[in-house]
Amino acid sequence: MIGVLFRHHVRLHRVPLVPLALGLALFEWIMTVVAREPSISRFVGEALRAAPPQFLALLNQDILATVSPRGIIGVGYTHPFVLIMMAVWAVRVPSAALAGEIGRGTMDIIAARPVARSAQVAAALLALVAGLTVLAGAAWLGTFAGLVGRPIEGATAWHYLPVAGAMWLLFASAGAVGILVSALAREAGAAIAWTSGLMAGSYVLDYAARVWPRIASLRPLSLFRYYEPQQVLTAGLAREDVIVFAAVAAIALALAFAAFSRRDL
Amino acid sequence: MADAPPIRTRGLAKRYGRVVALEDLSLDVEAGEVFGFLGPNGAGKTTTIRLLLGLIRPSGGEATLLGRPARSVAWRADVGFLPGDMAFWPRLSGAETLEFLAALAGRPASLRGSLLERLGLAAAELARPVRTYSDGMKQKLGLVQALQCAPRLALLDEPTKGLDPLVQQAFYDIIAELKARGSTVFLSSHVLSEVERVCDRVAMLRAGKLVSVGDVETLRRAEQRRVTADFGADVDPAGLAHFGQLVSSSPRRVEMLVSQAQVPALVARLGMLPLADLVIERPTLEEAFLEHYR
Repeated sequence: MIGVLFRHHVRLHRVPLVPLALGLALFEWIMTVVAREPSISRFVGEALRAAPPQFLALLNQDILATVSPRGIIGVGYTHPFVLIMMAVWAVRVPSAALAGEIGRGTMDIIAARPVARSAQVAAALLALVAGLTVLAGAAWLGTFAGLVGRPIEGATAWHYLPVAGAMWLLFASAGAVGILVSALAREAGAAIAWTSGLMAGSYVLDYAARVWPRIASLRPLSLFRYYEPQQVLTAGLAREDVIVFAAVAAIALALAFAAFSRRDL
Repeated sequence: MADAPPIRTRGLAKRYGRVVALEDLSLDVEAGEVFGFLGPNGAGKTTTIRLLLGLIRPSGGEATLLGRPARSVAWRADVGFLPGDMAFWPRLSGAETLEFLAALAGRPASLRGSLLERLGLAAAELARPVRTYSDGMKQKLGLVQALQCAPRLALLDEPTKGLDPLVQQAFYDIIAELKARGSTVFLSSHVLSEVERVCDRVAMLRAGKLVSVGDVETLRRAEQRRVTADFGADVDPAGLAHFGQLVSSSPRRVEMLVSQAQVPALVARLGMLPLADLVIERPTLEEAFLEHYR
């Protein structure tokens, strides 16, 4: 039954997946073109040196890493456009899969069939991670297309595979929280509002904690704290970060399974 | 488990805070029976069906379907369900919807073709997105999805809502065939004539409480008519009281409830009076039940 439900979710959401994937691929390809231009690298470097620290904090960039072509391509994985494209899927699919079906009134005809509630949560998870895989893969393919056959010194497409993986992990764990929210909500609108709010709040907390020393200790509470592409480029995926993403996802999903199994539909 | 009735409830109750949606419902629906579940809007019919399907948790009591607890998923492949407010996925076509729901049931849709033909849903209509359907077409699609896998037990909430008379007749024929196949049908309605026509037994629910359970024949015998007579000159209403129950009266107008058997005698008597107008109608569902079971 999980397979039937998974295909159902894919059918409902496949149309927006295509432009999201194309947009991400195109954006990352453009970043490789931009990074190749020495004048742009120079301009970016000078601009970043002149920029106030609050602006650099917003970009979440190590300035020395960023001024290199390799670093500029990495910026493509923290740019708000990319984060929003990924967040659209991480919010949309979980919200529609459970709360959306309840709000529309279609949950009754699904739940009256031999489908365990846990299978519904599992199908939502499967649709979430499948779409995120397509999107993170599309982003990386954009980088790959820009670099294949025309390498930039110190940067090959393979360097960005773990970065795309880290982005996938970030939004998979955020999406798992979205599934928990959806398992508790009665309508897609409420689930979308809460999940978007939590993601935006997490992003703002990470930013604020970097520019405002008094709340720096709160930064570990933000998921975005554990997503640092420039560090991934230089040192690879940190095991601690992966553990945090996995733990958040596991806890959120366990709560979602428990809540959705017990609730009135 | 094989001997358990398809539907059994004992002390089933549902409360939302202080609001009592259903109270102490104990009911058996036997195999092969077409059972009508009657009541005005808000009586608790839909709540009962949602409890039976395990969609909501009871505040008290228990329910079993096909011998298994309501929240179990084991029996659900054998159950067809039509919700009272039928909702679909607007972008999916009718055909995609039926295919998806049959796949979820895990059983072949052996009756789909026949149901589509009899309810009048053509292939061209099934190819269109459901968002383009009229309410009547959505109801037809709802009936097909509920019955396409030949369920042993069908739970149908207001099944003829929005259907035109011809399609209603086709639906009644389908119910008769399901019964002939040995299926059990649990049908909620607030249309008395519909229940009289297709059901073997009926239960009446009012404000969350079961008022009565009985066979349709008993109900039919007990059914009364509301008679309203207007006169061109003053009459003495007391002279008509022995025909039935006076609901309201004045020298120029009498309104009363009369058993079917008394209607000819009353009409004959009224013919001797200066009758200006006469209306004979079925009482409302609630009047009919409450009058008999009070």
